[in-house]
Amino acid sequence: MWDQVKQALAQSAARLLARFASLLPGMVALILAVVISIFLAFILAFVARRLLIRLRFGERLVEWGFSSPAESATKNAAVLVSRAIGGLVILVGFLIGITAFDAEWTFRLAQDALEYIPNVLGAALVFVVGSIVARFFARSVLISGVNMNFHYARLLSLGVKSLVIVLAGAMALEHLRIAPGVVQLAFGILFGGIVLALALAVGLGAKDFVTKSLQRDVEKPSNETVEDPLRHL
Amino acid sequence: MEVESIPPQALEKIEQISSADLVVGILADLDREGIARLWDDLQDLPGSPRIAVLQNDKGAGPASPNPETAETGGLPFLVSWPFFRPDLTGAPMSSLFGAYQAVFAGGEKLGARACCVVASKLENAAPRWVSQLAQPLLEGEFDLILPRYARHKFEGLLNSSIISPLSRCLYGKRILNPMGPDLGVSQRLFRKMLSAGRNAPNNGIHALVSLASAASCANLQVYEIHLGARIYPPTDWANISSLIAQVLGPVFLEMERNAVCWQRVRGSGPVPANGEPVSVTQDTGNVDISRMVESFQLGNRDLQEIWSLVLPPATLFELRKLSRLPLEQFRMPDELWVRIIFDFALAHRLRTISRDHLLKSMTPLYLAWVASYAHDLETAGPTASEQRIERLSAAYESSKSYLVSRWRWPDRFNP
Repeated sequence: MWDQVKQALAQSAARLLARFASLLPGMVALILAVVISIFLAFILAFVARRLLIRLRFGERLVEWGFSSPAESATKNAAVLVSRAIGGLVILVGFLIGITAFDAEWTFRLAQDALEYIPNVLGAALVFVVGSIVARFFARSVLISGVNMNFHYARLLSLGVKSLVIVLAGAMALEHLRIAPGVVQLAFGILFGGIVLALALAVGLGAKDFVTKSLQRDVEKPSNETVEDPLRHL
Repeated sequence: MEVESIPPQALEKIEQISSADLVVGILADLDREGIARLWDDLQDLPGSPRIAVLQNDKGAGPASPNPETAETGGLPFLVSWPFFRPDLTGAPMSSLFGAYQAVFAGGEKLGARACCVVASKLENAAPRWVSQLAQPLLEGEFDLILPRYARHKFEGLLNSSIISPLSRCLYGKRILNPMGPDLGVSQRLFRKMLSAGRNAPNNGIHALVSLASAASCANLQVYEIHLGARIYPPTDWANISSLIAQVLGPVFLEMERNAVCWQRVRGSGPVPANGEPVSVTQDTGNVDISRMVESFQLGNRDLQEIWSLVLPPATLFELRKLSRLPLEQFRMPDELWVRIIFDFALAHRLRTISRDHLLKSMTPLYLAWVASYAHDLETAGPTASEQRIERLSAAYESSKSYLVSRWRWPDRFNP
């Protein structure tokens, strides 16, 4: 009996070692792929950071209203982007390494992940463009509102910015195919809520302004016109 | 402006005329009597020069002749030209600037020795003022003739607060109205303007804005003549920020283009002038300062994040102090205003933010200056406004070193 036990143990150990031995090349390939991708990520991140600093990426972000003009903030923007590029390269290396295991599930995992990357990039692009547009519109509305003496110009500007960012966020989430039904419903409620809030704020806040404007238009023919003597050009 | 962009019927008439000594562009909306007076004035020019008058065509189509003006006084060399096209971009100043370019193009096509532009209606006009614009040019003594208007103290505020003193500080010539609009230009100068426009058609430079600076930088002769009181259009308060952006944009672009020239200039000198100043009554009505101060206070509260990208901390601090002053003590120091203009010019050059946003965000600051100026001169006499503007011009000149330092080292010099 002991011989049979020893034989069973030897066989299971042999099977385990054989199984481990069959996985070993895959693991070595995975480690090698990750190491190479880390090395490539480091180089690409360094090049990207130098390029972004040379292109004054931080100042462009300040111009578009993304960050403060502090030097640390502008450098951090370039570092952030370069680290994102590095992370992406490492992820791709990891997925390549995983496909080295000769198993169907690893292959499908890698394939699905690689197919999802364009969606991620598309969503990121939509969100970034939406943010830039939101900030531009917010600034335009703020300046126009202040020049028209609207005391709620800042609120209006914030509302416009929120509207555009919510829209961009919803479009990005739709690209990512994350709970599309929930996102659509939530977007509809949020967007409608913001528009209603803005309408109430403008309507109630501008009530006096509209009343005075109408009063001025009605009274103008009967009053003597007091001419403004200022001439600018 | 290229020959092919001259309207066909105008081009046909110009080719019939073939040549002229003087081209007069009429941009003002003159009536029949006004045109007849102008023609009488031009006929008195010594030497009987050959004159072509380009008048704005207000007809239905782009080149349809205006029968009314064709009959007026039987002008033999009258060319109808649609200077002002329907403005679809919301930038009427561009249309005005383009009209000057069109007059110069007509002058070049006709080989004229001089071009004059009549753009204003005047009251108490100096006698023979149009021929006074033209005569020095035809005699070859001067290259640019600019006007000196008899002005009420609250007129021409953009010019008094920014354009004239800035031009004086940069280019060293004490020109009261660098942007006319009524002016005379020699062949040498208008050809220079046209070739600059051809070499870089989309550079945003406009002939009217560039004339005084081009003449100063090229050491051309500038002359001023006294005209009457100009009739200014009423203020459109809803669009004042657009007006500021449309006027100051080309001014700052011109400043960037001529940086090498103005950085060498120190101080300023007078420009020869002719004629007697025409006096005007100073009954100017009441100025509502509170509205403008309120605009400034609102701008100071809500536009800090934008102003902080343009103005240094010391200036922002002074603006905050200014916004807390009561109405009767509201005074913007000249030095503060001058530094603000210089900082905005620099930010325009560096494109710190979108140029349109930058210039429009200046509106509350400009209104603060106007309120301060109106407060100073509310009960002052007729000569007080000239003394006030002279003090402002002196402040521009004395602060030029600040501008030069910031222009050369924008990152290192930021007080």
